[in-house]
Amino acid sequence: MVNKRYLARRFLLMVISIFTVATILFFLFRMVPGGPMSAIMSPRMTEAARQRVIENFGLNEPLWKQYLLYMWQLLHLNLGQSFYYGQTVKTLILDRFYNTMALMLTAFLISYTVGIYLGAQLGWIRGTSKERAGMLVVLLVRSTPVFWTGMIVLYVFAFKLNLFPLGGMRGVGAQYSGPVSKFLSVDFLYHLVLPVFTLCTYYTGLPLLLMRNNLLEVLSEDYIDTARAKGLTNRRILFRHAARNAVLPVVTAFAIAIGFAVGGQVLIETVFSWPGLGREMVKASLRSDYPVAQGAFLLLSTIVISMNFFADLAYTYLDPRVRLGGT
Amino acid sequence: MKQANANFDFDDDAPLLEAEGLTVSYSTSEGELIAVDDVSFTVQEDEIFGLVGESGCGKSTVAQAVLGLLPTNGAVPSGSIRFRGIELTELEKRELDALRWENLALISQGAMNALNPVQRISTQIVEAIQAHRDVSTDEARERTAELFETVGLDPERMDDYPHQFSGGMKQRAYIAMSLALDPDLIIADEPTTALDVIVQDQILKRLKELRDELGISVIIISHDISVIAETCNRLGVMYSGKLMEYGNLKDIFENPYNPYTLGLQNAFPTLRGEQSDLISIPGSPPDIADLPEGCRFMERCPFATAECGGEHPPLESVGDDHASACYRHDIVDEMRREAGDRETWARLRSEVVATGGAGDE
Repeated sequence: MVNKRYLARRFLLMVISIFTVATILFFLFRMVPGGPMSAIMSPRMTEAARQRVIENFGLNEPLWKQYLLYMWQLLHLNLGQSFYYGQTVKTLILDRFYNTMALMLTAFLISYTVGIYLGAQLGWIRGTSKERAGMLVVLLVRSTPVFWTGMIVLYVFAFKLNLFPLGGMRGVGAQYSGPVSKFLSVDFLYHLVLPVFTLCTYYTGLPLLLMRNNLLEVLSEDYIDTARAKGLTNRRILFRHAARNAVLPVVTAFAIAIGFAVGGQVLIETVFSWPGLGREMVKASLRSDYPVAQGAFLLLSTIVISMNFFADLAYTYLDPRVRLGGT
Repeated sequence: MKQANANFDFDDDAPLLEAEGLTVSYSTSEGELIAVDDVSFTVQEDEIFGLVGESGCGKSTVAQAVLGLLPTNGAVPSGSIRFRGIELTELEKRELDALRWENLALISQGAMNALNPVQRISTQIVEAIQAHRDVSTDEARERTAELFETVGLDPERMDDYPHQFSGGMKQRAYIAMSLALDPDLIIADEPTTALDVIVQDQILKRLKELRDELGISVIIISHDISVIAETCNRLGVMYSGKLMEYGNLKDIFENPYNPYTLGLQNAFPTLRGEQSDLISIPGSPPDIADLPEGCRFMERCPFATAECGGEHPPLESVGDDHASACYRHDIVDEMRREAGDRETWARLRSEVVATGGAGDE
């Protein structure tokens, strides 16, 4: 189905993109006022101590040598050490990355499933008062700032009704043997409910409206008349013929959304005290913890670039007309 | 594999399809628009009936009304459509679904987008079969292969997607799908419009052969009078929602009574090649949101008089199975003589221009 040579070319392009982003990030962080060392060097350091620190980090070397070193380390997936935590950047951001993905992936999967389904239904009943009411609700929810919804949700369900925890990712004293037991524990899922719910109210809007609009377009196509003339049930016409075609652009939107989801929702992570990558990136920037910020940005770009790649691939399976790279 | 449709009590004496006083309206922001106005026609068994007219004359709306495919803002406020005596306009969706494809099939502009682009052609045909018959997928696929051969396509390619077919092949595939359940009547809406002349000819020939071999009646809807001339036994000429002339093809083509039919004949090259000089009818059809008082064709008709401005003329019998809607049947010989003359229509063109293009935007 997918042409192998095209696949190789597309993959190479992806690698080049990531390499370019890494290069830009490297020089960008060397251009930051104060330089990378300003955060960990105090004015009270002696000149000798200063030199020692600079040498330790290899900052006395010429820039091109530093760059080659950085790239060499990157190939070994070594992203350096956090100035602030003292941990390796890899351990740190991977941990935050998993937290973020647990939150965002859950939210996106629910949002896109619900959004696609409701969008198809709304498009189908176009022109009825039910549809108008539905659209009003969707637009209202979609336009509500997500941090505000978050605070209201917290106030009602956590503070007033005491049904859910106020924030964080785990209860006091909770211990896990590994990542699997951590993300599948009842305690974790319990903490996940409110932030995911809040995110869903916001993220459902896009796939829903996209799906509805695509469906309206598809419904005027001749093959829908064909399906009706064949005497198929409405359900079959809607899901097998109309929605199946209307869903294609939503797939692209989903892949791109997942890419950006890695960056997390800083506002939501803040409101719900979620130890995710978005919040960590903001903190790292404020603390001038450059290795962490640089690593996080690199991870973010890599995921966005690879999700685009996967969106292209997904298209070839969903739409037989798309044969990547010709014959 | 024909099965009797047990749910319906067909009247064997009734014509295959009969439209009587059929009116179709669309509710739009500009108000109620009458797209088809009081149209009556009959289609018999083993017949190819043609509906011809310019785009927007309501001919496709007739097809949609028959198959219950009108858009949600469309309705049939009066008139009736009877299939073997069964009133189609009163059927519930579920009842209509039982008739669709089983008895009444559609041939759409298959060359364009009438086949679902993301499904294999075999899937779409099997779906049509299984929606009506309780057969296994293997049996339905066998039938599909058979159908491919019937329409002159290679059965090996039935698992292709529509985009892998050329326009003519897609049209054939669509016809194969229409034949899947051996229907009684097929409505072909512009079946050859996107095709080149050679392929068009092949498709029309195939349709005629199918009528002869399988005894399927066909309604062909086209803007191209030469398509109709080649295939139909009987036809209706539509203009602005009205039936202008109706009856036997031979009578209408040899002895047309309506000035609009005369104009249409001029505007298309005859396949016999007698006349290479094309004369178009000046102006354009009236906006159905703003119809003229009298005859719909009056503003473009070189033979119009004051009498034509009163009310649209009724369909008047002018022969055995031949009717025309015009007030000037008395001068029909003069009309036939002058209609072939470029001057007749040119005179009108200058008038249309002088009055600021009446009926035109």
